[in-house]
Amino acid sequence: MIARLAWRNIWRNKRRSLITMASVLFAVFFAVFLRSMQIGTYDNMIDNVVGAFSGHIQVHQKGYWEEQIIDKVMPQDSALLADIEQLDGVRNVHERLQNFALGAHGPLTKGVLVAGIQPDKEEHMLGLRKQLVAGTMIMEDEHGVLLSEGAATYLGIKPGDSLVLLSQGYHGASATGLYPVRGIVKLQSPLLNNNTVFMPLTTAQWFFATGESVTAMVVEIENNTTTEEVAQYLQAAVDTADQYEVMDWKMMMPELVQAIEADSTGGRLMLFILYMIITFGIFGTVLMMTAERTREFGILLSIGMKRGQLAASLFLETLFLAANGIVAGAVGVFPVVLYFNYYPLRFSGDAQAAFEEFGFEPILPASLDPTITLTHGSIILLISAILALYPAYKIWRIKPVDALHS
Amino acid sequence: MREIIAISWRNVWRNPLRSGVVITSIALGIWAGLFSISFSYGLNEQRTRNAIENVVSNLQIHHPSFPIDRDMRYTIAGTDTLMSYLDTAKNVRSFTARALLNGMASSSRGGNGVIITGINPEKERRVTKLHNQLKEGSYLGESFKNQVVIGQKLADKMGVRLRSKIVLTFQSSDGTIIAGAFRVAGIYASASSIFDELNVFVNQDDLFNLLDSEPLYHEIAALVHNDDQTEALVAELNLAFPLNKTESWRDISPELGYADEVMVLFLYLFLTVIMSALAFGIVNTMMMAVLERRRELGMLMAIGMNKGHLFSMIMIETIFLAAVGGPIGIGLAYGSISYFHERGIDLSLWAEGLSNYGIDPVVYNVIPSSFYLNIGLMVIATAFLSALYPARKALKLNPNEAIRSI
Repeated sequence: MIARLAWRNIWRNKRRSLITMASVLFAVFFAVFLRSMQIGTYDNMIDNVVGAFSGHIQVHQKGYWEEQIIDKVMPQDSALLADIEQLDGVRNVHERLQNFALGAHGPLTKGVLVAGIQPDKEEHMLGLRKQLVAGTMIMEDEHGVLLSEGAATYLGIKPGDSLVLLSQGYHGASATGLYPVRGIVKLQSPLLNNNTVFMPLTTAQWFFATGESVTAMVVEIENNTTTEEVAQYLQAAVDTADQYEVMDWKMMMPELVQAIEADSTGGRLMLFILYMIITFGIFGTVLMMTAERTREFGILLSIGMKRGQLAASLFLETLFLAANGIVAGAVGVFPVVLYFNYYPLRFSGDAQAAFEEFGFEPILPASLDPTITLTHGSIILLISAILALYPAYKIWRIKPVDALHS
Repeated sequence: MREIIAISWRNVWRNPLRSGVVITSIALGIWAGLFSISFSYGLNEQRTRNAIENVVSNLQIHHPSFPIDRDMRYTIAGTDTLMSYLDTAKNVRSFTARALLNGMASSSRGGNGVIITGINPEKERRVTKLHNQLKEGSYLGESFKNQVVIGQKLADKMGVRLRSKIVLTFQSSDGTIIAGAFRVAGIYASASSIFDELNVFVNQDDLFNLLDSEPLYHEIAALVHNDDQTEALVAELNLAFPLNKTESWRDISPELGYADEVMVLFLYLFLTVIMSALAFGIVNTMMMAVLERRRELGMLMAIGMNKGHLFSMIMIETIFLAAVGGPIGIGLAYGSISYFHERGIDLSLWAEGLSNYGIDPVVYNVIPSSFYLNIGLMVIATAFLSALYPARKALKLNPNEAIRSI
């Protein structure tokens, strides 16, 4: 009965109800919008950094990540590869053989990371062809390398020159080789750009004398939101007891996680400030609504309605209004978030240069993660529930006679 | 007009509750804007200060080719005169000279490319915070020869502990490969594990012994008393020692400046959201205020107040509300910013374990004073614009109907 009364009350005075609903609507709208922009920016950072080299998930021989030496390789397993590749959300799986070596040219030497890759298959992820600044791309199986720009500059190498590589191969075999440099690539990450050498996987396997083995299977995920799911599935599917280890980017790159965490902390304080404004906006409306209806309450009480009933109906009424406002806000914010997801805000000038220097696209996209709306919708519902106690409290204190005369 | 102003002023205090809501919204809006700006500036200043005190210092001096090639041949010219010049320079707080060598650190697990920094432990202590970042062991001392301080990440990677022996390999200027065994005296962890993995510190005299050479310096880093005069000192040093290149932290780490710009962009986005949220709060309240006063406004119109007067009455009311709310908000902001400028905001409340990452979790608010005026004006303008719609709505009232409404 009381719920019905509350529901009817909402539509009795449409304009007042609409104003209250609007205040909740905008609260949801702004909170979701702000948070979507923050989270979207992090997702973009993650996709840029993770998607450019390490992949969202890697599978290694157990113990490889702890101690990255060439003896911890695993034999190529095409059945497992095919299994992972057909999982939902997985775009591609790449086999890589990675190890450190000393690169030399003339009198100069430099520690480099040798990455044995399948150039054609990895093009979508690494985009080496697009980042080529001189020379040509390496072919599958050929005897030649691509050098990152920083390493090439340091060693004074141009395409056509030869690079001497010295390292340790499988089980202590000595690895020495002279490789023609086919091209120079400018990688986005400053760290990788300084010391990376790419060579075809088979060439690397020959150089490090590993036979048909790799150090990592790099899993390229279509969308970061499914990373956790795929990683969990893999944990269960492969033998992690003594053969393999499955690592997601959070385990491989704690720095990125901590950079985001540090930044997100500031973001949360901002959100807290926004919530203060929002709460007050809703409170203002509820306050006005209560004041405006004092006379009505007085009449209801004097004709015999119980205070408890009236308070309960008013509490429910406010809550209904809030719920409507939240749903409307969630619906209203969706196209805006969608728009900024497709057409993100773009940086220009120095900020753009800064982003590019760190290997990030200079954009602020909005996240489409539905949990953002759910979380903030619930928070605002909770805030509204607390604020709805105010009119109930007011009714408890009202003196019908005074109210009638107001 | 005089009467209109008088009526408006009285209207403000006729319904203290309603006016209170608007005044509080305005005050809260100004406070939120100013506080979030001061927080962002504080965060950025802390980041810059951390970078200056831990990594880049206020200025650095190199051979002009060193920053590009980082080759050990490029030593600083005329170190002795340069150092005695710095000793007497007014604005210089402290400085230290370093030898920087590219090399390899090897343990039984293999080698890692590192930058070997030969420091003068006593002078270095006054420039960077290495000695405060030790997790284990002690800082480089005078008593033992061939000690090294390495980063936590490198120690983990190489599988070495305190007092383990590692071999550092580097080239002398004539290309001979020199290797020396060093004992791990301390293990440090800075804010960046990338830095920790790449940098090892030894006593520079040990390096000079191994190289069998005169002291050679690649880098002089200095802290100043007053950063505002860093650029002047840089210019002065470049003029006095044209063979070397002196750069301020702004030139060395431009990303610190970029971070500033990115922050400003975020801040604008945030302020837009806050101001919009505020505007809707005010529109809602003023809207209720106008609609609640239908009878009264209708009466005023019926007894001959013209539309222009009615409109100005509502707008002047808003100006009064802003004039009261504005100073309250500015006072509130000034008080809280000053308080947190002294005390700092402890972010560990929001993000646990931030200090584990080596990030100082306490942010001290700072704000350029011009923002008080800007934000104050912005909020008052927002309030004014928000009142336009309700005021227009009031004009559309039909006096005849308005009088009869309850």
